[in-house]
Amino acid sequence: MSRHFSRAALAAVGALVALAVQPAAAQQASQIWTYWGSGAELAAIQSVIDLNNKAHADTPVEHVVIPGNTVELRRQLQTALLGGTPPAAYQSAMGYEIKTFVDAGQLRPIADVWNKVKGDEIFPTGLQRVMKVDGEPYAIPLNMHVISNIFYNKAIFEKYQITPPTTMAELAAVCEKLEAEKIGCLANGGGYFWSLYNFYAPLVSVVGVDGYFQIARGEMSFTDPKFKQALELYRDTYVKHYLANWSGKTWAQGGDDVFAGRAAMMQIGDWVSGYLKDLGFKPGEDYDYFPAPGVGKAVLIQVDAIATPNGSETSNAAADNFLTTAASPEAQGAFNLHKGSIAANLKTDPSIYDYIGQKTYATMQAAESDNAVLPNLFFLLPTELGSEFGAQIERFAIDPSDETLASVVEKLESVRVELVDQGAFVTW
Amino acid sequence: MAKEKPAPYERGIWVVYLLFLALPVAFFLVFYVYPVIDTVLTSFQRWNGLSPRRVDVGWRNYLALFDDGRFWNSLLNNVRWLVFYLFVPNAVGLGLALLLDRMTKGQSFFKIIYFLPYTIPPVAVAAIWRWLYEPNAGLLTSTLSAVGLGALAPNWLGDPAISTYSVMGAALWWSVGFSFIVYYAGLKNLPQECIEAARIDGANAWQAFWKVTFPLLWPSTAIALGMSSVDAMRLFDIVWAMTGGGPAYSSDVLATQMYDVAFGRLNMGEASAIAVCLLVAAAIVVMPFIVFMSRRVARGVE
Amino acid sequence: MSSRLSHIAVRSPRYAAAAVIALLFVVPILVALNTSLKTPAEIVDVFALPSAPQLENYRIAWAQIGRSFLNSAAITIPGVMFSVAIGAVAAFPLAQMKGRANRVIYFILLTGMLVPYQIVQIPLFSLMRQLGLYNTIPGMWLVHAAYGVPICTFFMRNFFASVPRSLFEAALLDGCGPARYFFSVLLPASTSGLSALAIIQSRAIWNDLLFAMTLTNSQDARPVTVELSALTSSLQIQYGPLMAATLLSIVPVVVAYLLFQKAFVRGMLGGSSK
Repeated sequence: MSRHFSRAALAAVGALVALAVQPAAAQQASQIWTYWGSGAELAAIQSVIDLNNKAHADTPVEHVVIPGNTVELRRQLQTALLGGTPPAAYQSAMGYEIKTFVDAGQLRPIADVWNKVKGDEIFPTGLQRVMKVDGEPYAIPLNMHVISNIFYNKAIFEKYQITPPTTMAELAAVCEKLEAEKIGCLANGGGYFWSLYNFYAPLVSVVGVDGYFQIARGEMSFTDPKFKQALELYRDTYVKHYLANWSGKTWAQGGDDVFAGRAAMMQIGDWVSGYLKDLGFKPGEDYDYFPAPGVGKAVLIQVDAIATPNGSETSNAAADNFLTTAASPEAQGAFNLHKGSIAANLKTDPSIYDYIGQKTYATMQAAESDNAVLPNLFFLLPTELGSEFGAQIERFAIDPSDETLASVVEKLESVRVELVDQGAFVTW
Repeated sequence: MAKEKPAPYERGIWVVYLLFLALPVAFFLVFYVYPVIDTVLTSFQRWNGLSPRRVDVGWRNYLALFDDGRFWNSLLNNVRWLVFYLFVPNAVGLGLALLLDRMTKGQSFFKIIYFLPYTIPPVAVAAIWRWLYEPNAGLLTSTLSAVGLGALAPNWLGDPAISTYSVMGAALWWSVGFSFIVYYAGLKNLPQECIEAARIDGANAWQAFWKVTFPLLWPSTAIALGMSSVDAMRLFDIVWAMTGGGPAYSSDVLATQMYDVAFGRLNMGEASAIAVCLLVAAAIVVMPFIVFMSRRVARGVE
Repeated sequence: MSSRLSHIAVRSPRYAAAAVIALLFVVPILVALNTSLKTPAEIVDVFALPSAPQLENYRIAWAQIGRSFLNSAAITIPGVMFSVAIGAVAAFPLAQMKGRANRVIYFILLTGMLVPYQIVQIPLFSLMRQLGLYNTIPGMWLVHAAYGVPICTFFMRNFFASVPRSLFEAALLDGCGPARYFFSVLLPASTSGLSALAIIQSRAIWNDLLFAMTLTNSQDARPVTVELSALTSSLQIQYGPLMAATLLSIVPVVVAYLLFQKAFVRGMLGGSSK
């Protein structure tokens, strides 16, 4: 009995070994790594890959999903880069993340591809800055998500005869009116990002676009009274009117709140538009957006881009072809049709956009002509400060007391000083 | 009797033993000792994990760490988890074991149910409990609302004051199974005569338990406490998956802070410093258990 | 008759308590099950039952994590065998030898239990790269065998210590060397211990997240836990498919537990029960 069992066990092990060893040999195609593992995002990247493989059949690429989010992807990349097995290309954030990899000597400059696709012409200026390090381009942007818009539930606005506010004071007044009617004003989600993104509007309204970039360069101290003023403005306009228990929710649950009418508005990236559509809302009829008061003509964007590490000749060639495809209007159109964002290539056919997209696209063009497309500050700052910034703003949003404010300022300033010491800041 | 073995043969036995130990010890050196040394060295450097350049910074990482409120909060949380893990799942497990001990029928069924959560991967536990803790639609809040106590429902995972305790709730559900099984088997192996003798002597159930049963359960308790202390220091999966250490670092433990600093902040030097501190803390906490385990069996052999 | 009734009367509060607690234990799983069968819009009301059970969530979940079950199995089964083997190999001399060296080596191997695995993450991946074993399933076997040394050694040492020494001495007198004794006498006599250790190791290896996250990066090698973790940490969490995936991931270990309960219990006790 036991002899049969051990024979069976050995056979099973043998089979598993055969199974395990085999697929390792089959990884010949060049890989594109992203964390877009499901739903619309997956469809989006896959459409670009399909277009590429048709146009460049001699250098096919395949999509590899790295589960998780930016941190996980970065970690796997780190492993791969140090281990000498990098992908041909990967999904990159903008700005400082690119710089980190460039400084480590890990990324290939793509000036050839950039010039071929006329990157300086087709991408907004603000966007170009964060694709380049020291003037050299290293990544091709796929899209722009606008993060300075406030989405709202139209039914609630109509019921209480509210018109979209245009100043901070008006926003606060709208919130008070809604709360008097027992409706939550602003939904929000927990995590490093969302409260920080909300904070940008009061910040820009106090320090202006110049101040925004001063912070990005590490030139403005966090102890500056204007920064404190911005925090207080954030507290009085936003934090006071967040829906209860927001910190325990994901951004999608915040979206649920708007959908269900528990909150009237939410300032979040335009990916919420796709989410609301999934729930059953119709853009323009059930929900709409207005730009966050305080940002003025500016538009704050978040970008997904493709960068390429140093690799073998085959993979470099495949990557270059992929980047060229990715910059083309067709690919950008296909990608953003699924993803719901705005194509980075402004020459993309705007008919792919729905009502929300069209509106955003028009605003984007207006902002671009004013040179007011602002990249997300989180990615302009050195990684450590960006993450700390997000965590501290969330902390302040949970407990907006004066002690917390003082402690937030102190902590951020100490990190900033340390990083200035190290020469970590970049002029974008 | 054994001492009468001829000398050459004895030396031969030793060689065989050393050969047996060669591979495990080699593994240990390569996979435990080398990485720990590497981590200690990195803790004195500044490195972002990507560039081939590393800069020596001496004790800077440690000084920055000790200055950082987040570090002390993480350490405090590990202490909280230690206290929690030592007492709560073990007490509940013991209680359940006592509950089932006297049953004659249906034990198997209950045993399966109580142990089941322990088989689930921590990631899955975190996924389920995050859903239960959801402030609007989650089970806990909905249940409280249904009985009219909705106003009492806190922001389970979003309120910094209670986030750690909420995660502990999930951990309790998950890990009771272990101490339950350990105590259940321990109870089954108890010599009944001692307990009955105590009863005959007039002790009531409570006294019989504390003076006789519980002391006799010492081997089970030792295992339960020891594994609890190891788990408390190693804690990562369930916290990371439920809250990521937040909000605002409130539920951070040393392992999650280390992970965040290493890969979220790209600061390998400081992360290594955290790792070293974690190792020291774990050594202090778990060492008594290891000493106990290594001595106990040694006594058995000799 | 009355004693029987009073017997039941004494027992029933015990049963009632046990039943209530069992219900509390099972509720989270039931909620997960309920959620996994709902459409996104229905999920919002946690008490409601789904109007029409949606298997769509399971289809989506399976598409995401289905392949990884194979990987988990390919990693776990040989991984268990190797780590149990290493534990037995290390435990044999430690159970037989006398003297301080024995205790010291045993103690040192046990200190491995102190080391939180996150510490070894970064050096480990460069090590695995150098060995050419990054993102391979055999690499995972090596890692699990190596990191199982403390617990497996501890376990088998306990078990071997309960084997009578006379057995060994009889073998020696018969001219059997220790190696032959180990393979021909001790191991066959230890199947209950080995299987108990195998069962708890299989739980540990199947549920491992950290090593898999660090050392795998493609569908060819990623186990279930990593895929599940991806679903939980993505920026948009869809609870329906997530609950479906969670339930699917639970099934193998639960089934293993149900089939091998006795071995599980013996495993939990550290190998020292008779």
